[in-house]
Amino acid sequence: MAMNDEQPRMREHEMVTTTAAHRIEVRALGQRLGRTQVIEGLDLEVEAGVFGLLGPNGAGKTTLLRTLATVLGPSSGSLRLLGLDVADGRERRELRRRLGYLPQHLGYYPNFTVFEFVEYFALLKEMPADDVRRAVARAIERVGLEDRARAKLKTLSGGMLRRVGIAQAIVNGPDLLLLDEPTAGLDPEQRVGFRALLREIGEEAVVIVSTHLIEDVAAACSEVALMERGRIVFRGTPDALAALGDDASAGDSALERGYSALERGYSRALAEARA
Amino acid sequence: MTLGHPTDATHLAQCGDCQARATLGALDIDLDRIWSGVAAEVWATPAGRFERGAAALLGSPGLARALVTTPSLVLAWVLATAAVFAVGVVATYTSDTPWVALVAPVLAGAGIAYAYGPGADPAFELGRSMAISDRTVLLTRAVAVFGVNALLGVAASLVASEAGALTWGWLAPMAAVSALALAGSTISGSANVGVGTALGAWAIVVLGSAVETRDLASAANPGALAPAYLVVAVLAGAVALWASERSGYGTPLWR
Repeated sequence: MAMNDEQPRMREHEMVTTTAAHRIEVRALGQRLGRTQVIEGLDLEVEAGVFGLLGPNGAGKTTLLRTLATVLGPSSGSLRLLGLDVADGRERRELRRRLGYLPQHLGYYPNFTVFEFVEYFALLKEMPADDVRRAVARAIERVGLEDRARAKLKTLSGGMLRRVGIAQAIVNGPDLLLLDEPTAGLDPEQRVGFRALLREIGEEAVVIVSTHLIEDVAAACSEVALMERGRIVFRGTPDALAALGDDASAGDSALERGYSALERGYSRALAEARA
Repeated sequence: MTLGHPTDATHLAQCGDCQARATLGALDIDLDRIWSGVAAEVWATPAGRFERGAAALLGSPGLARALVTTPSLVLAWVLATAAVFAVGVVATYTSDTPWVALVAPVLAGAGIAYAYGPGADPAFELGRSMAISDRTVLLTRAVAVFGVNALLGVAASLVASEAGALTWGWLAPMAAVSALALAGSTISGSANVGVGTALGAWAIVVLGSAVETRDLASAANPGALAPAYLVVAVLAGAVALWASERSGYGTPLWR
């Protein structure tokens, strides 16, 4: 019975991933900040699923996410996100209604409660007014902050604030979810729960996660890209990245050896790109 | 079944909670949805009268919420502005110099510079990815801040006038200085630069007038210069609009 329930859902999911409305397409993207060319000639196509973005500091991950979030306009190149041309004001607005974004540094209003903060961004995303409160409550529950829903933001820990940021990003049930270092400050148990949430959202939406944590990629991502100096120098599955590491990966358990292989694969891909 | 409870028939026969859930389940009642609705009502803070009015006026609950979160419209800021106007009223009475008219443009300019932008609004970056554009938020807040400062200016000038007559000499300079502050803060991405622009421009006008006429009060009576102030206001406002568009999309200026 459970199998019969699953099969139509899988077929529907496969159908969804092949439509332009659930895909992002970036062509020859260039991004210049002052005199620095942060991103150069970047091409990227991503479909529904959880896509990990790895890379050293300054590789251009945050700038790429800010560009995809339409916070920054591209210096050159084009973006078509969820089938919408972001250069067109009307289509950009439509995209933003379907977008969830967690910046690297979440600015917040200290005297807002958790509920008020998430509600504020639900309203700015132009969600239907009748749906807002229930959606906010649901988002707060999904990040496990129901016991702090009425707490002022200035009383929360860094990890809790991160979860508030995630709640505002998912409140509108986004088709494109962009998360910049989402697990920073979360404790191990919260990270495990968060990865499960990511996988759930990635069943139907395009989720792009920038992270420094290899274990996040191993546990949650169906695909991974490695950025270096504004370019993508590796793209493949986490297994393919791990395969770049040598066979003598250190670690006591299979899990540790897996992470170790991923880290070695990451370092090797980076070294090859730099060479 | 209740989360964590056994699912066998023996337990179900003995557990009232599970029996209740099974009954609701048979009636196709979604407990999670009911709970979310209840939680939302318990956790939510009802919108205040001003916010509800703004939502009706603007036709957008989101824009109304953006308006009530304006940094330079929080109660402390408005009270501080009112206090400066009050000091201006007292100084006007005691010195025969129209201090209300002299401070009004800079107060409005500072408020507008701190209405929106990086450094002024903590959630500025997040706000730039929202469907209600940052440009719309910027303009709505700027107009509201100008309106509040104009109202305070009207009240202060009424009180400061010995004849109880309203003087409007400060309004055209206030519009020009506010627009310059908006342009400065939008182009630079810094509220402090906006305040500096307002303060600098108005200081040049006041001191220039004083040197020429040997009367500090002359800048508060623009007379024939009023159209020039309005032209500056329109031009600086247009520059601010252009900059907000470019920073929102195109070649970014706010970084």
